[in-house]
Amino acid sequence: MKTTLGVASTLIIMASIVVAEPSGTFRQAHEVGSGSGSSLDPISKGRVFQITEKVMSRLVRPDMEGRPSPDLAVSWSANEDATVWTLKLREGVTFHDGSTFGSEDVVYSLERVLDPEMDSPARSAIAMINTVEAIDEHTIQLTLDGSFADLPLLLMDYRLRMIPEDAGDTIATTGVGTGPFMVESFDAEGTTKLVANMDYFEGAPGVEKMEIIGITDGQARLQALLGGQIDMERGITAQQRVMLAGSDNFKVQTIPTGNWRGLIFRTDVEPFNDVRVRKALRMVADRQAMVDLVMGGGAVVACDSPVGPTDQYRAEMECPQDIEGAKALLAEAGFPDGLDIDLHVATLEPTWPVLAEVYQKHAAEAGIRINIVQVPSDGYWNEVWMQKDAVTTRWNERPADQALNEIYLSTAKWNESYYKDADFDAILSQARSELDFDARRALYVQAQEHLFDTAGTLIPYHVTRLVGTTARVNNLDAVENNAVRWNLITVD
Amino acid sequence: MLLRRLGLGAITVWLVSVIIFAGVEMLPGDACTAFLEREAKGKLLENCREDLGLNRSALTRYVDWAGSALQGDLGVSANGQKQISEMVGYRLRNTLLLAFGAMVVGIPLALFLGVVAALWRDRPVDIFVSTSAIFAMTIPEFVSATLLILVFSVWLGWVPGIVLTSANAPLVEFFPEVMLPIGVLTLVMTAHILRTVRSSVIETLASDYAQMATLKGVPYWQIVFRHILPNALLPTINVVALTIAWLLGGVVVIETVFNYPGLGRMMIDSISDRDLPVTQAIALIIASVYVIVNLAADIMTMLANPRLRTVHLRQG
Repeated sequence: MKTTLGVASTLIIMASIVVAEPSGTFRQAHEVGSGSGSSLDPISKGRVFQITEKVMSRLVRPDMEGRPSPDLAVSWSANEDATVWTLKLREGVTFHDGSTFGSEDVVYSLERVLDPEMDSPARSAIAMINTVEAIDEHTIQLTLDGSFADLPLLLMDYRLRMIPEDAGDTIATTGVGTGPFMVESFDAEGTTKLVANMDYFEGAPGVEKMEIIGITDGQARLQALLGGQIDMERGITAQQRVMLAGSDNFKVQTIPTGNWRGLIFRTDVEPFNDVRVRKALRMVADRQAMVDLVMGGGAVVACDSPVGPTDQYRAEMECPQDIEGAKALLAEAGFPDGLDIDLHVATLEPTWPVLAEVYQKHAAEAGIRINIVQVPSDGYWNEVWMQKDAVTTRWNERPADQALNEIYLSTAKWNESYYKDADFDAILSQARSELDFDARRALYVQAQEHLFDTAGTLIPYHVTRLVGTTARVNNLDAVENNAVRWNLITVD
Repeated sequence: MLLRRLGLGAITVWLVSVIIFAGVEMLPGDACTAFLEREAKGKLLENCREDLGLNRSALTRYVDWAGSALQGDLGVSANGQKQISEMVGYRLRNTLLLAFGAMVVGIPLALFLGVVAALWRDRPVDIFVSTSAIFAMTIPEFVSATLLILVFSVWLGWVPGIVLTSANAPLVEFFPEVMLPIGVLTLVMTAHILRTVRSSVIETLASDYAQMATLKGVPYWQIVFRHILPNALLPTINVVALTIAWLLGGVVVIETVFNYPGLGRMMIDSISDRDLPVTQAIALIIASVYVIVNLAADIMTMLANPRLRTVHLRQG
């Protein structure tokens, strides 16, 4: 009897040891957004982030609440005016190719992003970094061109991943990093195979293999999920959610994000150069109705602030529909009979046409006649966006400072509404150098309130992401992929 | 005669290349704006256009391309900078696998069902076969494809719904994933051929010589096999040829729905990337196949039909 128990308990112990070993394969699709230009270089235009996020690490990464937390940097501190930052690096980390991770790799990786020759889209995110220096084997120092209190937030950018020194020429196909998974074979348009990195600095990951599969067609990706050929599809629609929710074979996560869709009225042209007209155009929107009609309830109302609902700097504002107020403002601005606007819409983003139609109805109540002009999706960013007076737009989540600076700063490259406001610029620069968190937060809130009073951009909501998975997937963090700890996932 | 047909074929292929070139040229945006998206501004855009030679006039680019295509060099793709001949090779093979699979299953099935339907005309068998054929023909492929995925992959779980195999994997690895796409193609193809076979057999049944044979007392099955089938099946050669050509071009939709790494999906992707060289190359291949298959069908019909041969001899 005793021996049987002994054997049984040994078996149980052995079984639990076996469970702790990485096992099973996790499959996921990506949309091959860059076609045959796809690459494993994290800072290139064609980076397949669904792969780089699993094989490479950043210095700083977001925790489950979106705050900076250690990745390859274990601690950081700034000098008094936040112009020089010192980061302590993790020790004992090795790259997939066996080389040791150290400060030289960080210097190389960051300078590569900053190199104008590289033309990296990530460059603008950290353009304020002047120099990157290695103090010793495990310490680096960043010198900025001005004060910036939230530098760690910017270092969380999903593209700023560390690669081995001098690996720039080969990284596009090798994908060598320090992440929980290693590239076994790379085929962007087919199946990319990853294997567990047993030496990952936070311990061996939960699954043994990952397959990242290129499926361009959204419908085909859903079919693949329904047929159990992939385990996860991020960004399913409200309608598709209904299909998955009715089955025990699937799970759906809802994740509030900072991604938004909106309408732009160029602030530098008639009649939108009148701040009253701009305000009226935004007051007529019934945002909750837009959330319900366009997104099937899967969104969080926004008051024209690009800062997402989970961001620590988000301003809490109220913005109910106000038709009478809008009419009054329009009359004051010299449009008592309302006005006519051509709104340019493409199907590039499937929700744009619906959003435009709902807005058309709301605007009509205040005498604003919206004429929806259908334009081709091809060449939209080049020939319509930032060209026509009233257009649709979309942005993915960015930290508050980045969102406000990239889209609204007078000198910003992507200032899509041609918004030029010296007061606003001043608030932002003040916030960057303010080291006290509460005071800094107050400034960012003030900036968002200022936008609500003056901006030409209607941001009705922030999209809630729906992630569908098969029931066999466990421990998938319910956050955006930027913050998911892929090493924790297990499959049954 | 053969030479004249070949010449006409060459002109067709050339016309197709001009039309495709002009068509893609007329779409808004180019390879650079498609690749750079929001970054497509100022210096970045200029550099990109410089690199790809897009700032030259459309005519120069066409002449350049046509010149090297004549020498068998299809050029390099616009954004991946890979040799197109290399890229196309596996894709063509995969599409041929799809087409071949559908032909092997579809043609015998269509002939059999068509003959059966005709011989038992207006009986339940015929009504069932003919009605199903109309359904198979009229339901768009993407609908029947989605239905088949729903039934066989999602509900029954017999075969995988979406093809996940890489383009350059060995052919065996495409099984069983390739079965559903072949099924959908077979469905549409069988329906088309079947209906031609049926009406052709019915027509022949009513012909003088068939009636004569019946009056002479030739046994029914002997009439069917000796007189009816050889005559009735001749016109179907052309339909089969057209269907084969359609298989190569028309798989675009099927390949997209099933994520199948063939020529069709490559063409769609290259159009959205504004990858003109790749689009051109694929259009050229498909057009050539069309021309060759049709030519082959005409020659086969001629060989199989003594009357056409003699007409030609008398004229010649």
